[in-house]
Amino acid sequence: MTDATLAPARQPIVRRYPVLLVFLGCLALFTLGVTILSEGFGIGIISTSFVKTLGKTLCLCLVALAMDLVWGYCGILSLGHMAFFGIGGYAIGMWLMYARTEIIVVQSLSAAPLPPTAQEISDGIATQIFGVVGASEFPPIWAVAHSLPLQLAAVVLVPGLLALVFGWLAFRSRVTGVYLSILTQAMTLALALYLFQNDSGLRGNNGLSGLQNLPGLGHVPQSTISIWFFWASALALGLGYILCTWVVSGKFGSVIRAIRDDESRVRFLGYPVEAYKLFVFTLTAVIAAIAGALYYPQAGIINPAEIAPIASIYLAVWVAIGGRGRLYGAVIGAAFVSLLSTYFTGGQAPDINLGFYTIQWVNWWTVLLGLSFVVVTLFAPKGLGGLFDLIAARTAPDRHGADLGPDVGALREKEAEK
Amino acid sequence: MSSLLEVSGVSVSFDGFKAINNLTFQIGEAEMRAVIGPNGAGKTTFMDIVTGKTRPDEGSVLWGEKSQSLLSMSESQIAQAGVGRKFQRPTVFEDQTVAENLMLALKKKRGPLAVLGFRASGADQDRVVELAEEIGLSGALGRKSGELSHGQKQWLEIGMLLAQEPRLLLVDEPAAGMTPAEREHTTEILVEAARTRAVVVVEHDMEFVRRLNCKVTVLHEGSVLAEGSIDHVTSDEAVIEVYLGR
Repeated sequence: MTDATLAPARQPIVRRYPVLLVFLGCLALFTLGVTILSEGFGIGIISTSFVKTLGKTLCLCLVALAMDLVWGYCGILSLGHMAFFGIGGYAIGMWLMYARTEIIVVQSLSAAPLPPTAQEISDGIATQIFGVVGASEFPPIWAVAHSLPLQLAAVVLVPGLLALVFGWLAFRSRVTGVYLSILTQAMTLALALYLFQNDSGLRGNNGLSGLQNLPGLGHVPQSTISIWFFWASALALGLGYILCTWVVSGKFGSVIRAIRDDESRVRFLGYPVEAYKLFVFTLTAVIAAIAGALYYPQAGIINPAEIAPIASIYLAVWVAIGGRGRLYGAVIGAAFVSLLSTYFTGGQAPDINLGFYTIQWVNWWTVLLGLSFVVVTLFAPKGLGGLFDLIAARTAPDRHGADLGPDVGALREKEAEK
Repeated sequence: MSSLLEVSGVSVSFDGFKAINNLTFQIGEAEMRAVIGPNGAGKTTFMDIVTGKTRPDEGSVLWGEKSQSLLSMSESQIAQAGVGRKFQRPTVFEDQTVAENLMLALKKKRGPLAVLGFRASGADQDRVVELAEEIGLSGALGRKSGELSHGQKQWLEIGMLLAQEPRLLLVDEPAAGMTPAEREHTTEILVEAARTRAVVVVEHDMEFVRRLNCKVTVLHEGSVLAEGSIDHVTSDEAVIEVYLGR
């Protein structure tokens, strides 16, 4: 939070928010570095699978950014944003799966003596995709799966509309705080349970797979495709960061922080609080969906377990550990915790033999994560992002004494005595 | 004088307890009014009804030249129509600077999209500085309002009310927790404000009310007990009975 007292008028946003420039610089350097070290475009020190991990991490940073906007700034602890993320993944996954299966089916039918009819091709694709759930016809929700532009539109529109309708119902009834969290969690759970059914039309618990193969680009090696997606993810994160900074920078940011701190007071100032919440909720749902649409082609597979409420809870944990209420905190939290999580659950971390018991990180990582969440909440509410305050404090004037409040610039002991 | 706010026959009960009982109240365009009454007389509930926080069981609340009913409007719509409210406990946004608080309150379009594109013009910033001077906080524009003293927070809130440019100002116990000097300043600000708009001050403190030098409405058990000048109501038998006990 920079000093936005009386100078915010006409300066460009990067001048007002130097953090933005630093962030974009770091992101550009990181992207360049990974590209140079990659197998596809560089000297091959970083494996393709690790490039994918890094690309996925960037997508997680983007959804964390959305979470920070809706929770850290606007005070809505949503436990549903990973559901929007998942819907984005499903929307793009439908096209990827359809288009690739179509190529395979057309190829296999081309050997037949008579050229195949459109119906035969369609049936072939349906049997290929839905054979696993014992169906051979396209469910209605696959109506536009053949069209990339329409599915791309669905990435934005479906989660956007869901957030809009759900948010309108919830905010209009003035459901707030922990009750709203429970409501969003219920929505997420309902969605996951629905998708687990075989007749949901999205292949039940099998989910969608083979998403890493881009239709028509079978000749391009994964090492190259992984870098393309890495770039796209970095670009999306950069743009998302600029957008979020813009949203929280001006008076709008001031209003949503005010809503977070005292909703009814904002109402008596004449601001339609519900409209603001709905706007932020929907905007962040769309950001989350875009992040998901970039994430799952890199992951290769999506299934309903990815949408389960626990994913959204993890998201909240990342943002809390990174430091909510500051955008770079969310990014740092998501990157740090998700990469550590990959390290510990990937079986790379060495087990610790205590003699009487062996700590296996695959099992104990969640315990460690839970503990660090508790520790951060109790002892370092500013999260990892708070470390930057420590650095800033070295260069800032000595204000004597400890903080009296939890926020940046809160009164210090000695000042209060004056 | 045409009336700006007309409350008539309003009743509201909570779990059978009649907080407001057939209350009738009127205030003109530029008028100062003090509302006094013992605890539980319904002063705060009265404000809640006017600002849309509480819906009455019966009665009507009419506003402005067009006699628009406030009962069908939401809190934010009522506030936009020109009703400003100051709460008993100072409620400012502690995490934000004095300037940001005032900027938030400044009379501008309130919709999300309008606010998203909002950039403060030079005139807006001048207005913020001017308001800060008026409430004696010009040196504290860049400070977080959470750092201010209790009295300063009260003033900041009054400043935010003035920034809203309401036509009717509802002020709940403005002088609570203030030093005598601060009280005097608060009186000045309120009297000044009442020159151009209607001001309703809810207060316990008779001395403070006397200094406002305006018409007084005494509430008791949810309805008007007496109305008139301070000397008139303090000599009223019923008021003495309620205030001093039998």
